[in-house]
Amino acid sequence: MKWLELLTVAGTTLVSAVTVVVLYSLGVRLTAIAGDAEQASPRAKRYFAYTCFGLCGLAVLFGLYLIIPYFSK
Amino acid sequence: MVALVIGLALFFDFTNGFHDTANAMATPIATGAIKPKTAVTLAAVLNLVGAFLSTEVAKTVSGGIIREGSDGVQITPDIIFAGLMGAILWNMITWLKGLPSSSSHALFGGLIGAAIAGIGFNSVNLETLLQKVILPAVFAPLIAGLVAYLCTRLAYALTSRHDPDTGSKLTQKRGGFRTGQIFTSSLVALAHGTNDAQKTMGIITLVLISAGTQAPGSGPQFWVITACAVAIAVGTYAGGWRIIRTMGSGLTEVKPAQGFAAETSTASAILASSHLGFALSTTQVASGSVIGSGMGRKGTTVRWNMVGKIALGWLFTLPAAGIVGALTALLVKTGVVGVVIAAVAGTAAVLFMFVYSRQSSVGHHNAVEVEEAGQTVRFAKKKALARARAKAHRQKDAATADQHKDAATADQQEDAQR
Repeated sequence: MKWLELLTVAGTTLVSAVTVVVLYSLGVRLTAIAGDAEQASPRAKRYFAYTCFGLCGLAVLFGLYLIIPYFSK
Repeated sequence: MVALVIGLALFFDFTNGFHDTANAMATPIATGAIKPKTAVTLAAVLNLVGAFLSTEVAKTVSGGIIREGSDGVQITPDIIFAGLMGAILWNMITWLKGLPSSSSHALFGGLIGAAIAGIGFNSVNLETLLQKVILPAVFAPLIAGLVAYLCTRLAYALTSRHDPDTGSKLTQKRGGFRTGQIFTSSLVALAHGTNDAQKTMGIITLVLISAGTQAPGSGPQFWVITACAVAIAVGTYAGGWRIIRTMGSGLTEVKPAQGFAAETSTASAILASSHLGFALSTTQVASGSVIGSGMGRKGTTVRWNMVGKIALGWLFTLPAAGIVGALTALLVKTGVVGVVIAAVAGTAAVLFMFVYSRQSSVGHHNAVEVEEAGQTVRFAKKKALARARAKAHRQKDAATADQHKDAATADQQEDAQR
């Protein structure tokens, strides 16, 4: 039985999904903070939020890069 | 016979596509992230792209379950024809019932049934069957559900904001997850293309090899890849609205953050599994994710009797498709007349189900009416909220404490909605 493969799949799924969700959620939270009325530096917060979304996108692209055989050859 | 089987395989690909649109697009449609028509178009295009991206899966498809090759039995186009018949009929039945069930299991079931009836019981490799079909069926929803549960909890924990002084809730902008949903659901559609279109390619290649027109051990030819990609894309565009309704609003109410978490888990699970050599069923992963994310959000209920119905459907997939496959295999064994009878009966059954489905049409306009109703309610509330705030502004002499309380309760209502 391929228990090792099963564990690898479960682990990879967990790590990748959590990475994407955490980054995106942070982005959402920072956007919400930047939108608050009394806020010291909304612009900086907004940039941080965009950075989070960007990192999230990069994580997804990296995942695709690993998967598509065209790149790994 | 070979041409007939290829035609049937492409039709199976079509049913596979429209059966599985729901996996990718049910949650974004349910949260209103993408309009239904746009969603199926997007899914169709991405399926098309995905089918071309990787043909790794096609090379290993169905290999091993039926003992093939020199030491085993010779798998013939007849067996594949019968197997496909079983798979297509089961796909149509589950679609009619609105049940998300695995197309690949239907295919395996049909092939196994056909092989048992056509060749004998020893033609099936039980150990591979357990390893490739039964174990994944148990673990796919478990893994996906658990990951989706954790992700949903995380997403809500990270975005929940309270005022440190008063403890009242602040704006959370969870609607922002809708934008993310467009990308994650696209990823699921892409993953579906890389995964499920491959199965049909594998089948057609198997037929071509067994008919002697292609060298054994070679990969799918270009026209096969193109035909399969187009078939699955057209199927996806046709959209299985009945299943979208089940996945989008039948299992649990889906909110943007939840949908985002579920889709991310689905995409990661499918992509990880198909590239690490432990194939999981797309449908089972997606259903597991939706259930898991439903359990992860406070104040949501998972409709367990619907879950039970779906689980029952999964249990029956293999044997039911197998029985149809076996019956077809017996018919085909009798000769040309049998093949004609099987083909005609199959077409008639598919037509009958299509006509029957017309009696209670489920289309893009009414697939997720529940959420649309919910949305109009929320918009009304937002407007009411704005009006209340404007009013409070005008009456500046009104007690500020009162206003705070008002806004807080309104915010709480808004949160309860999400």
